[in-house]
Amino acid sequence: MPLLTRLFSLRRNLFDKHRVEQELEAELHTYLEELTDEKVRSGASFAAARRAALVEIGGLEQVKEEVRQIRMGNMLESTLHDIRYSLRTLSRSPGFTGVVILALALGIGANTAMYSVAYGILMRPLPYPADDRVALVYMHFSPQNFERGTMCIADFLDWKAQNHAFEEPSVFSSRRMDLAGAGEPEQVQGAMVTTGFFSTLQVAPLLGRVFLPGEDRPGAASVAVISEALWRRRYAADPAALGQTVAVNGGPATIVGVMPEAFRFPRANTEIWTNLPVVPPTRRGPFFYRGIARLKPGVTFEQAQRDTNAIGQRIMRENPYYRNLTLPVERLRDALVGDVRTPLLVLIGAVGLVLLIAVVNVANLMLARATTRHGEMALRLSLGAGRMRLVGQLLTESLLLAMAGGIAGLFVAYGAIQLLRSWNPGNLPLIEYVRLDGPALAFMVVIAIVTGVLFGIAPALQGMRADLNSTLKEGGRGSRAGTGAPQRHLRTVLVVSEIALSLMLMAGAGLLLRSLDRLHRVTGGFAASPHAILTLGISPSDHKYDQEAPMRVLYDDILERSRQVPGVESVALSDSLPPSYQSDADTFMIQGQVLAPGESNPAVSVVIVSGEYFPTMRIPLLKGRFFTPQDKLSGPGVTIISESLARHFFPKRDPIGQHLKWSGPDNKVPYMEIVGVVGDVKYTGLQNDTDDAYYMPYTQVVGKRMFVVARSSLGTAIAPALRRAIQAADPGVTVNQVASMQVMLSQAVALPRFDTVLLASFAGVALLLAAVGIYGIIAYSVARRTHEIGVRMALGARQTSVLRMVIRQGAGLALAGIALGLAGALALTRLLSNLLFGVAATDPLTFAAVATVLLAVALLASFIPARRATRISPVVALRYE
Amino acid sequence: MPTNLLQGTLDLLILKTLALQELHGLGISHRIAQITKGTFQVKPGSLFPALHRMEESGWLDSYWGESENNRRAKYYRLTPAGRNQLMAETDEWQRISIAMASALEST
Repeated sequence: MPLLTRLFSLRRNLFDKHRVEQELEAELHTYLEELTDEKVRSGASFAAARRAALVEIGGLEQVKEEVRQIRMGNMLESTLHDIRYSLRTLSRSPGFTGVVILALALGIGANTAMYSVAYGILMRPLPYPADDRVALVYMHFSPQNFERGTMCIADFLDWKAQNHAFEEPSVFSSRRMDLAGAGEPEQVQGAMVTTGFFSTLQVAPLLGRVFLPGEDRPGAASVAVISEALWRRRYAADPAALGQTVAVNGGPATIVGVMPEAFRFPRANTEIWTNLPVVPPTRRGPFFYRGIARLKPGVTFEQAQRDTNAIGQRIMRENPYYRNLTLPVERLRDALVGDVRTPLLVLIGAVGLVLLIAVVNVANLMLARATTRHGEMALRLSLGAGRMRLVGQLLTESLLLAMAGGIAGLFVAYGAIQLLRSWNPGNLPLIEYVRLDGPALAFMVVIAIVTGVLFGIAPALQGMRADLNSTLKEGGRGSRAGTGAPQRHLRTVLVVSEIALSLMLMAGAGLLLRSLDRLHRVTGGFAASPHAILTLGISPSDHKYDQEAPMRVLYDDILERSRQVPGVESVALSDSLPPSYQSDADTFMIQGQVLAPGESNPAVSVVIVSGEYFPTMRIPLLKGRFFTPQDKLSGPGVTIISESLARHFFPKRDPIGQHLKWSGPDNKVPYMEIVGVVGDVKYTGLQNDTDDAYYMPYTQVVGKRMFVVARSSLGTAIAPALRRAIQAADPGVTVNQVASMQVMLSQAVALPRFDTVLLASFAGVALLLAAVGIYGIIAYSVARRTHEIGVRMALGARQTSVLRMVIRQGAGLALAGIALGLAGALALTRLLSNLLFGVAATDPLTFAAVATVLLAVALLASFIPARRATRISPVVALRYE
Repeated sequence: MPTNLLQGTLDLLILKTLALQELHGLGISHRIAQITKGTFQVKPGSLFPALHRMEESGWLDSYWGESENNRRAKYYRLTPAGRNQLMAETDEWQRISIAMASALEST
């Protein structure tokens, strides 16, 4: 019953407002009249009675307001009213509104975009059911020391036999695979996997089946599962592709299944999975395999790690070749995300700073505006508006602004994400999971509300403190009201902190820029122009090349034909390429070298090349000679070492004439004679200093996959002719990964460039916002001091001294901010040190440079209002009041 | 001597006043002064918000009638829900006043 009454009242209050108000008016009027009558009856004159009655009532409007406030739906109605009122006030000052919305759009937009990237990469569920229970299992041991190292089949069998933690241990190995039969031969990214691979990832095939138990036993028939993309491209999405035979690296395999588009493991571009028959090996090696397995129910990653480490201990006891062996366990997502977690976290922190600066900026603008509205606030207070009501009104305005900024920010975010995806820096993993969607929208709304409250709270509180008497007495000279010391103080603090925050961002961006510049200066170790170097991967897929002799003949033929291609200045073969294609790394031993038991030399790059490789790439010969055609299979084994290897292992003697060979268990391979020393070349990334390498001639050691390396001033234009020349030697040879050295170098710095570009644009926005902040406070101060400046000029102050006075104020703010910012930056840039190359996190040059830039911008921002100050005409200024 | 109204007592006084007679605003405030022997003087700033709130709560009902001086005036009367509320609040008040009295008498 009471509920119905309440609803009825609510309806009446909202929709029959006019009558409700009229009745209230009538009711109060009667009250006044009756009270006046009483007083007249007891002998007062009508005028006296009326005055006494009004005093007793205490203001009809106030009483009305009190009644209105207890009414049903008062909150709703006043909110709507506040919104209407805010829209009106905001549209009256489009300049202010525009600047605020722009600042917020940049801040919120950048954050929403960054959030989408971070969410997509770090948090969005992977397409693998319960992926948080899936682990990758690596093997780490000395002397290889790869953090996410691989294991050999013997290790896998030991792990599988002793495993307690996982459902079904399995291994996989990524490799390029040559496809033939039905259509053009092509090379695609493939993976060899054991049966447990698919049951671990638990993704149902789109078509057909995955591998069955037993299909990884020795002697099992070759079967293949292909990707949806390959199925559409090569088989026109025909279900009859199932059961067809495809030649994989020359051997026939039957297609049994098609995986859906979302299944992208172990690599984003893996297109074919073949069964890996686990043949019990006779020796430890080769180390090609990574483990993947699903935790048994109730088992934690920590328990699994203890289990695999115990297994590692046993493997090590039985195989003294391994030292410090562990089997690291890593969550699937961490494995996919890899190295981008740190840069992403840094960028998220940076973009948060940008938003903070935007909020400080807007708060400052709002405060400036609040002071000009003191008259309005005081008037509304005196007319009976409650203080809470005023605060509510001001907060509504802030929230409206924030929402408008947020919506504009969505466009910014959308554009940013499109830009990012199309520019995709190549090695940003999981980029396909990045998009603007529900969670991003929710994030934007939350951020907008939080920022709205943050920048609205100070002006709102100021509004609440509005002092009725003094403000009204000043007769609406709004600009001078409420400019008390605490308020000015607060605004100064805001601008100084804005400058400090900007400096911190700029310092970070500056360091990354310097580091990227350093990275660009790393040459990779060759002097040939990267534009002139073209590389083509070749792989003879036919089984006739299982023997080494025909392979050597093929390589000779390819080299010979390539030399004839017009425009080719020099051509060679190599199985590794700078800056980061290392085909093989292994430990080695030097003849006569005495090592402690169990000790061995570190793993170094092992490169198979043709003799022309060094002159083609213009890698300097430091000592001895290059390989020549006389280094035949029948002759003595020869090798060339890198400068670093020479320095590390032959520090005081001439390496030429010494002997080395690869080390390993049961090694009966003969030693090779060192015939030359060449300059260091990067094979493991530009950032790395692991330049130790030794080279072997392809005439003595055959590589199964090589690159044709050609130098030509025509650059990539000769690629088609070279491809034809290679396939003229044998049409069954696939040509793949055609790229210019320039592109490869550029890809090598893609991720650092990504961090740098993003952080630099954040810093740019921050600098812009800081400039607006300084400009705002100085311009405001000039306006406030128009009178004073006018007096000074009237008394004979020169324009330059006025200019200096105003600029000095701006410089003071900037210097305070810069000092604070430098301290903050020193503390924060340490977080960057993992991302830096060749630059210290506290690089004084960078710090000095960004401080100078910021100071210059600050001076410029205060110069504009300063010049305006010098143009103040004393007469006008004095009349201004 | 006029005393400030205790929080919550105003509702009870209004309910009690209207239980005897239907009254308009000024009538209610006079009657309250009368039945409390001048201890409580209710100002319009508290009276009208209270009346409107109680009406919206369904305890009071109102109609437009004629005042003693032939003016159009808004009269308030108790609804059945208001009567229940009066009984409940009276009980509550008596409980409190007994408790307070015994508390103040104890040594």
